[in-house]
Amino acid sequence: MSESSTAIPRASCVLVSGGSRGLGLALVQDALDAGAKVATFARTITPELEKLAADRPDDVHIGSVDITDEKAVRTFIKEAAAHLGPIDALVNNAAIGQDSLHVHTSPERIAAIVATNLTAPLLVVRAFLRHAMAKSGRGRIVMVTSVCAQRGYSGLVTYSATKGGLDSAMRTLAREMHGRFLVNSVAPGFFASEMSSVLGTEQLSTITRRTPTGRLVEPENIAPVVRSLLFDDTNINGQVLTIDGGGSI
Amino acid sequence: MADGCLDYIAMTTLPRDQVRSMMGEVLAAQGKELPAEDAALLETIGFRSLDFSELALRVEDELDEELNFDAPGLRSIETVGDVLTFIDQLQQA
Ligand SMILES: NC(=O)c1ccc[n+]([C@@H]2O[C@H](COP(=O)([O-])OP(=O)(O)OC[C@H]3O[C@@H](n4cnc5c(N)ncnc54)[C@H](OP(=O)(O)O)[C@@H]3O)[C@@H](O)[C@H]2O)c1
Repeated sequence: MSESSTAIPRASCVLVSGGSRGLGLALVQDALDAGAKVATFARTITPELEKLAADRPDDVHIGSVDITDEKAVRTFIKEAAAHLGPIDALVNNAAIGQDSLHVHTSPERIAAIVATNLTAPLLVVRAFLRHAMAKSGRGRIVMVTSVCAQRGYSGLVTYSATKGGLDSAMRTLAREMHGRFLVNSVAPGFFASEMSSVLGTEQLSTITRRTPTGRLVEPENIAPVVRSLLFDDTNINGQVLTIDGGGSI
Repeated sequence: MADGCLDYIAMTTLPRDQVRSMMGEVLAAQGKELPAEDAALLETIGFRSLDFSELALRVEDELDEELNFDAPGLRSIETVGDVLTFIDQLQQA
């Protein structure tokens, strides 16, 4: 039985992994617009992120951290909380892509994708929960997974496995946290970013053609869904919300 | 093992002709024929991306070495000559 009978409060301070560009940067900006403070890291700090931190020094904490460096992530969370106050929400967004047939993907590359996209996000969740349970006791988690976890796409075997792994972990966490933390996934279809830049125009037009809405997803389509999961009283918990223009139906 | 021997292993590559005949074998297994001209279009002869994959694995088997590669490079391959050049480049990499 659930232990919390009242709504989980809206997020006040959000940790976004991989907020330097692409979807992560859009989610950082959106959380700020919604009135939250934001801590975010990536391996390389971009000028966009530097500007945000300079413009909103009391609301934004940034760092150059490799998500696979567990100790560095824990230190970042500590420093961010010392700067911004307790962190009560997490968006697990950082990931690396793949575009190679399984038989031609080296064991080292497979290990790197699993380390970055599955092991590290699980450790970030763990570090976040250990912090948030001790501080605010309640909160929200959003995993950015992918439609690839639900449908087969050639060239994405290991990537899909990591995203499917995160969706499974998300459901189990939602159960394990007994309603004290709302845990959900957003699963976007393909959108233009550095990660998807390897797709050829022919592939992009095939995906667009197969999408009932006739257009590819954009970060601006995903941000409102994440915003709702972070700030609204929706009572959505343990769900994968697919945002792909209906391409996967 | 002597250094000279290591050098020899590092430099092993299959000649273009040998790769061409392996390509012919991949096609023959499907009842298709490999034309003599390098300019022949893969689309016309029905050589698909998974056939390229099979060819690359046959070459790896012969070399006893992995030639891993990403998919984007494959997308620009259109002719028999492109296939042979790509395999050549993979071996040099
Ligand atoms: N693009 C798509 O078509 C698509 C579709 C479905 C789902 N998604 C998912 O959406 C999310 C965002 O993707 P995107 O397209 O916006 O990708 P992107 O533009 O490549 O951005 C990825 C972000 O993650 C960071 N990152 C990657 N490796 C990291 C590491 N080892 N340590 C710390 N940060 C790291 C990157 O910064 P650094 O490289 O500087 O570290 C960057 O900030 C990912 O979870 C992706 O799987 C993307």
